[in-house]
Amino acid sequence: MSTAHVTSSPEVAPILKIRDLKMYFPVKKGAFSRERGEVKAVDGVSFDIIQGETLGLVGESGCGKTTIGRSIMRVYNPTSGTMEYRSGSGSAVDLAKVQGKDLKGVRKEIRMVFQDPHASLNPRMTLRDIIAEPLRAYGRDKGSSLNDQIASLLKRVGLRPEYMRRYPHAFSGGERQRVGIARALATNPRLLVADEPVSALDVSVRAQIINLLRDLQGELGLTYLFISHDLSVVEHICDRVAVMYLGRIVELAETSRIFASPKMPYTESLLSAVPIADPRQRGSKTRIMLQGELPDPANPPAGCPFHTRCRYAQDVCSEVRPELREVEPGHWAACHFSDELELQGAASLHETSSPLSPRDQRTITQDQTPI
Amino acid sequence: MTDTTHGTQRTAPAASGNDYVLEIDDLHTHFFTNEGVVKAVDGVSMKLQRGKTLAVVGESGCGKSITARSILQIVDKPGRIVSGSIKLHRSGREGRSAGTIDLAALDPKSKVLRDVRGKDISMIFQEPMTSLSPVHRIGNQIREAVLTHFDVSKEEAHERAVESLRLVGIPRPDRQVDRYPFQLSGGMRQRAMIAMALVGRPDILIADEPTTALDVTTQAQILDLIRELQSELGMSLIMITHDLGVVAEMADDVAVMYLGTVAEEGTVDQIFHEPRHPYTRALLRSVPRVGEHERSKRLYTIAGSVPNPYSRPTGCPYSTRCDFYMDGLCNKVVPPPIAFDETHKARCLLYTNAGVQYMERERQEKGVTA
Repeated sequence: MSTAHVTSSPEVAPILKIRDLKMYFPVKKGAFSRERGEVKAVDGVSFDIIQGETLGLVGESGCGKTTIGRSIMRVYNPTSGTMEYRSGSGSAVDLAKVQGKDLKGVRKEIRMVFQDPHASLNPRMTLRDIIAEPLRAYGRDKGSSLNDQIASLLKRVGLRPEYMRRYPHAFSGGERQRVGIARALATNPRLLVADEPVSALDVSVRAQIINLLRDLQGELGLTYLFISHDLSVVEHICDRVAVMYLGRIVELAETSRIFASPKMPYTESLLSAVPIADPRQRGSKTRIMLQGELPDPANPPAGCPFHTRCRYAQDVCSEVRPELREVEPGHWAACHFSDELELQGAASLHETSSPLSPRDQRTITQDQTPI
Repeated sequence: MTDTTHGTQRTAPAASGNDYVLEIDDLHTHFFTNEGVVKAVDGVSMKLQRGKTLAVVGESGCGKSITARSILQIVDKPGRIVSGSIKLHRSGREGRSAGTIDLAALDPKSKVLRDVRGKDISMIFQEPMTSLSPVHRIGNQIREAVLTHFDVSKEEAHERAVESLRLVGIPRPDRQVDRYPFQLSGGMRQRAMIAMALVGRPDILIADEPTTALDVTTQAQILDLIRELQSELGMSLIMITHDLGVVAEMADDVAVMYLGTVAEEGTVDQIFHEPRHPYTRALLRSVPRVGEHERSKRLYTIAGSVPNPYSRPTGCPYSTRCDFYMDGLCNKVVPPPIAFDETHKARCLLYTNAGVQYMERERQEKGVTA
């Protein structure tokens, strides 16, 4: 496995360097729960997260994107690999090995925002208790300042400080997600792992939370690992995107480049599967329909993991696994034919702009008003 | 707007003959809870053209699913249809019953309605794992639907089940028929549920968020499948969704719902290219679109969130979040449906005389102060 530096440019310092991360889960069967093989949820993943950026992690369910997020949080103990985190004090910590007190110190700086705001808030705790919990854990709840801290956190995420005494059930999904974000911000983190933070929200509320996340990033200088399956949201919020398939990163590049000219057929088919919100473009693009299903991660295909569904697959694809390599400066792809293939990006799917012209977007025109 | 760009064969102009298969008129479905009455569906009217697709769009709590469930009278207690009519025009094809019946007037347990369910109108749901029985084989569950509606032998029913699985593209259906739902992947389960819904060869298929729980690639497959089956079997489709992309790809007609009412309805082209209601416009603007990489731009947001169903706003339901709120008007008057042409209607006071006068007045006042 190569230990390539998967960064966009060498001079920017990564906040987190992940090298050859593996997370295998044992499959137990039989009367004595003997291990009968393993699921390679994450299988040799290397990438960097650069200070201040938003890195998107996309892929179908079961591709291992959530497992990476959880490994960074050390919900799991990774099977092997290193995760070198440069902490606020400047020292480097290997997240894969750190234990005890040091781990607690790191968890103050890396926080998580969860998908389902209904499941991730304790219904028996008031907002004050929920947000105070991380503060207590780090001994920052001394004196009368606790309420002030909570009030300012609530204000920061766009909630009224008076809400402090209420319980989560009194709030809508979007408001709850704001509480989840306030809780994550309580310890002044540097890196937020956001696992599908807007997937459970309604369209109109989703836009509010996306804007909030972006505002907070600007104000607080946060770094995001943004895990999502929604490509339109990822395109909107991320600086760089990593595409995962069967436990591996198969493509990584700046967002605009990956969407404009993907270098890996899987990315192309993902982009092509997104429905276009314009009826006039119906049938205007040739949709690449992926055949079949995601192979069983406990028994991945030999060679390129995507070759069973790839429309460009050749003999070599079923024999040799392509390594993730830099096909263009800053653009990494794991495909034997990245240089030859002319893959279509999302931009070519949208020659025209959004259905609403700028004029429509600003004003309601009252012409043709029926009387 | 130019009419020449009107999309593909599926968005062809509506037949002037108005061949409707289902007509919902002023439907009210309320929930009588201890805390009060929730008007989940509050005066909804919509029409489904034969062989066409009607998309019902809206955020959670707008009543789109309850409207769909009202059609089959499978609304959970304490909800029930309070008033309104749901007229089903049965085709009478293949020796089936013909004529028009009002589904809203029937007893939920009546024989007629049980006959309608699964034979005239079928429904598929969002989460196939919770809709399929986990302890029965796929084939058993489909067979049951056949035996309920058709006077056939068990062997014949089994064959129909296999045939139905083949129709929805499940590989080796003769073997899959004996498997349990948990042995199938999410996409395959959704196909199995569609197979079950289609085994009675219904005139109408109601799909309630059929692809929300699926990945984009699987979603593309399922939408493609539904489209193919629709043209093959000549079904009419009601598609309930919150995903505007899905609407744009599937619908002929669209109804945008908000707080139990239809805010706007029209052809798919009218809704996406000439939206009238401020809510429709806001919805269209608040979704990021793939291929329009504009990171510097903030997304447009709708202020606040959907009001609590127990305390609905007076006047226009959308008045509390509307950018064009007219004080003294929108919070007082319930907007009537205003027709822009034969197919396009919106419930918004901006397009009434009172609204025009209000805006005119405001413009003049602004002019004076400036």
